[in-house]
Amino acid sequence: MANTSTAHLPASKDLWVFVLGDFVIFGSYFVIFMISRRQERDLFIESQRQLSLNIGVVNTLVLLASSWFVARAVQVARSGEFERARKLTIGAGLCGVVFMLVKAYEWLAKIAQGHTFPSNSFFMYYYMLTGVHLFHVAIGLVFLGVVYVELRKRKPLALVETGATYWHMVDLLWVVIFALLYVMR
Amino acid sequence: MTVATAAAPAWTHKPKIDQWIAWWTIPVFYNVFGLIFVVLTRVMPPPRPDITPAQIVQFFVDHSLSIRIGFALLMFFIGFASVANGLIALQIKRMSVSPVFAYAYIGSLVVGGLPGCLIPAFAFVAAALRPDRDPQIMVMLYDWCLLSFVGSLGCFCTQNMVLALAIFLDRNDVLPKWLAYMSIWMIVTELLAAPVFVFRSGPLAWNGSISFYLGTVIFVVWEFCMIRLLYVAIRNQQPSEQIQD
Repeated sequence: MANTSTAHLPASKDLWVFVLGDFVIFGSYFVIFMISRRQERDLFIESQRQLSLNIGVVNTLVLLASSWFVARAVQVARSGEFERARKLTIGAGLCGVVFMLVKAYEWLAKIAQGHTFPSNSFFMYYYMLTGVHLFHVAIGLVFLGVVYVELRKRKPLALVETGATYWHMVDLLWVVIFALLYVMR
Repeated sequence: MTVATAAAPAWTHKPKIDQWIAWWTIPVFYNVFGLIFVVLTRVMPPPRPDITPAQIVQFFVDHSLSIRIGFALLMFFIGFASVANGLIALQIKRMSVSPVFAYAYIGSLVVGGLPGCLIPAFAFVAAALRPDRDPQIMVMLYDWCLLSFVGSLGCFCTQNMVLALAIFLDRNDVLPKWLAYMSIWMIVTELLAAPVFVFRSGPLAWNGSISFYLGTVIFVVWEFCMIRLLYVAIRNQQPSEQIQD
């Protein structure tokens, strides 16, 4: 599989600036969330019960599956099977679309139940964190689209790795958001 | 012609001196900008949205003079923003993209400059001129200034999108791609300024840890990088380079 004998940093250095900086920014959101949670612990626990853990789990699995597709796409692209890499990229993108649809359904259901953005601190963080994350998913879909088109050109390995790294970042951020919003008691 | 050239001082013959003059206005401008908004007019960091009318009136009584001096200075210095933007637009024109990105960059900043600087300035100056007004009117001017100042950040989304897209599409490597990625952070912070229209306290209010402080930190980091990268871009530019119209 490895056509390069020396170790190298996958993806472009420019993207790593973004990934590491984005972790710092999201890390700040998480710290601020935890401080508010400490101050209004009962409200946060009570509001959390209004979220559907099942929907959260489904979306986590959908994103993990998309990460698997992307990782496989990088592997097969490295061994020169660009056509398969394109199909796997499509699979990852479809998972991303499903994630967005499930999230849209979840938001609409919460709004119908009367849990809106200004309802209370918990739902403020819920809509803010999932909203900013959704914006990252949307950019990721554009990214995967570019990877898909460029895979026609046979020499896009750096770009495929860059797209995959971005997508794994989106996945990792979701796992933390899922843990904080849906699971932590 | 030859006489005029001979009479001109030597430093004016330095290649790209025009761009260097424009570049030096940027650090000068941002220092004056910081002095005006942080020290004199007290708009940064923003005062609290959840105080009583009496406290708001007291705020204007206490800072009446410095608010008016600060915004009078702003009237002279605000135009310098266009020198910096002209320089960035010129560097965008050096990229292998259509100059439409450069024009859109300038235009989007004109849109943002109005609610981001001038509307807040006149709301605060009007309040500071007559602090003995009906307190409810003072509350309105206070809200007007700070909602406009922080809540208008979304107007700068286009600026960052245009810049990011131009850098991503550019094959001349005028500015590095990581600056384009950083512009995505800027877009996220600008989107997170919109909730100041909803919340009067907490992290998403106009003085909030997320809406204001985190956004400001990201802006300052971005601005430092931008100034440094413009310096590198001008330095690496061939004096003989032809730039598209």
